[in-house]
Amino acid sequence: MTPFLALVRLELAVLFGSPLAYLTLTGFAGVSALLFLEPLRVYNQLLFAYASTNLGGFDTGAIPDSVNLWDTVFFPVMDSLGLTLLAAVPLVGMRSFAEDRARGRDELLLCSGLGPGAIVAAKFAVCAATVLAMLAVAFVYPAATLERGDLGSAHLAAVFLALAGLGLGLTALALACSALTEHQLVAALCAWALGFALWDFGWAAPLTSETVARGLQALALRPRFAALSEGLVSAADLAYFAGLVAVGAAVARASFDLRRARA
Amino acid sequence: MSRVLAWLGAVALVFGLGTGAVSDPGASFARVNVAFGALALGAAALLGARRLGAVAGPLARRGLWPAAARVGLALLAAVAVERAAAFTGLRFDWTAEGRYEPDAALVSRIDGLCEPVEVLLFGKAGDRRLRRTRLWLETLARHEKLSLHELDLAEAPPEAHRYAVGGSNRLVLRRAGAPRRFERVERPGEGGLYEALTRLCARPEGRLLWLDGEGQGDPELRAPQGYSGLAAALETEGYAWQRAPSAGLDEIPESVAGVLVVAPERPLHPRGAAALERYLQRGGRLVALLEPGTDSGLDALLALWGIESPPAAVLDAPGPAARGADANALVVQHWETHPISAGLGPGRAGYLPGARSFALRKPDPDDRLDAVAWSGPQARRADEPARAEGRYLPVAVAGRYPRGETETRIFAAGDADFASNHHLRSVYNLDLVLNAVHWTLSREAALTLRPKLRETVQFPLPTRDALGGYLGLGLLVPELLLAVGGAVWLRRREG
Repeated sequence: MTPFLALVRLELAVLFGSPLAYLTLTGFAGVSALLFLEPLRVYNQLLFAYASTNLGGFDTGAIPDSVNLWDTVFFPVMDSLGLTLLAAVPLVGMRSFAEDRARGRDELLLCSGLGPGAIVAAKFAVCAATVLAMLAVAFVYPAATLERGDLGSAHLAAVFLALAGLGLGLTALALACSALTEHQLVAALCAWALGFALWDFGWAAPLTSETVARGLQALALRPRFAALSEGLVSAADLAYFAGLVAVGAAVARASFDLRRARA
Repeated sequence: MSRVLAWLGAVALVFGLGTGAVSDPGASFARVNVAFGALALGAAALLGARRLGAVAGPLARRGLWPAAARVGLALLAAVAVERAAAFTGLRFDWTAEGRYEPDAALVSRIDGLCEPVEVLLFGKAGDRRLRRTRLWLETLARHEKLSLHELDLAEAPPEAHRYAVGGSNRLVLRRAGAPRRFERVERPGEGGLYEALTRLCARPEGRLLWLDGEGQGDPELRAPQGYSGLAAALETEGYAWQRAPSAGLDEIPESVAGVLVVAPERPLHPRGAAALERYLQRGGRLVALLEPGTDSGLDALLALWGIESPPAAVLDAPGPAARGADANALVVQHWETHPISAGLGPGRAGYLPGARSFALRKPDPDDRLDAVAWSGPQARRADEPARAEGRYLPVAVAGRYPRGETETRIFAAGDADFASNHHLRSVYNLDLVLNAVHWTLSREAALTLRPKLRETVQFPLPTRDALGGYLGLGLLVPELLLAVGGAVWLRRREG
């Protein structure tokens, strides 16, 4: 077994050897199901109210365009899931480097023959797999319901791509934060604050010029996530999330040099 | 000190950004927090760098440069790749209804715009429809002739008053070179945008005479049985129309581009009928929408041009749409190859609530008479015995009659209701009637299939069913996870 695979295996064993990972997965699945059920209930009630008022049955002409499964149920759920990911992903990534630092295992790792880049890659792979598993678990319920409604598997794939892109981008941020501290809590808070700050710059539009506002919005997570979840898969949005992963990994990699300089 | 400053800065920044995101971003609380947070973080970074300089040796510090360069390089590469990807414009529409694939007619209309057009999107924060409208407009705004500007209604921009914008998610289209020429779109959609762009750059296509006085369809009546929708659609396409009582019609002027006769209930006044006949003899253009079961008043005139039409309604095999008051309705899916019906075919149907059929006979060998639309294969006329063999019957026809240097053109449909307000926007009815007018008036370049409403999902997904799924598959996954997690924890405790 190569040192890289050995490290991946070790990380998986540490992560899934404690009940924390399972509790996080369970909690996320439960929260996402609840997030989905409430808008679905409201949507059905709205349809019923319009159908009753107009006494026309489920005649599409009687119901406003804005009341539809995507706008009333799916997109609000996606927004809520995105915000939930902002909080949940830092919990997965917080221990990656911070725990090693706190226990002095980081120097041991460097003696294993693995370079800093490979260590970062291994830890990212494990965290990313965990986050993807979390998303898959959370996605089962809405996907099963919507697939029963025959709403198009391509669109569902785009929705999962949106969640995966956001999840992986946030994982890279969480790793970068974890690499810069030895306190897990600080790492989680830092990753959460960073993710929250990057979430949406739409609020800045009235304060700045149109060009600056557009530039800021190009940096934001939410418009990219929203476009993908709308079913519009663009190379630029995928490149944005890939870039976020690359920058997060580069910062995590740089933390090794920073530590060496301090030593 | 630097850590304390960093912590204070992060807290202030999060509170500032959070306040800005959920309420007024210009509030002093948000501004002060953001400013303090940014300053504190900057100071913390400076102090951290100084501390590093004091602690680390010159050799170690030198080792930091490659690390900083790698981060910078990653940042630059990320931005470059993203910009390059954006430049390629590579994007895929994975929506079930192909929402972000612009309709060919809309693209063609944008290509043919007389000058660049600015699209103003008015919205209010919190309006969820805006996101989709914005994405859709951004797709269209990739075309150089369209530019998109978003305006927040909450700030009461002067444009909102100038263009009388009544609510969120509304569009105003204005010509870049002539901002006074504008069009409002109340419900953003391809059809609305297409018509607004058409009106914005419409060129006068000629004047139509709408014959009146024998109970014809009313172009000013907004009720479902009226034809105000057709009249408005003709205006959108650049046609002016004018009502003309046939009793007062001595001669149809040369300046008239065509004559429209819509659902007459009685024979035309002899004076009007004679004027129409003379007009056609000298190369006139006629669009006649007839109704079954009545004397159309045009029978004798049309027969002169080889178009005979018994008043009996066509009885087609009952389709899914044939129900209630429209018991004789035809869902037209069989189209002849003709410019009027170009692009129509199976799945692109016309809906005629009841129609009469035609029999064609060329008056002159050089004439050309074509069926445009057919009934289903099992149709018969109501005046034929029930056991008569079913067959295709023409329900819309078109004729060209070259006479020397002039050419007469006639389009006749066995139904007029399909163009009434009630049915005009059903399936491809609008395309049928407008393309018929364009073809009859020799405006072939204007023939097109207009954008259609993309389907929105508006059927119920009962919560009980959803709960059923939740209690089955939805709960099984967390249950398994919890069971495995507990087992792992217990085994570790025992170990």
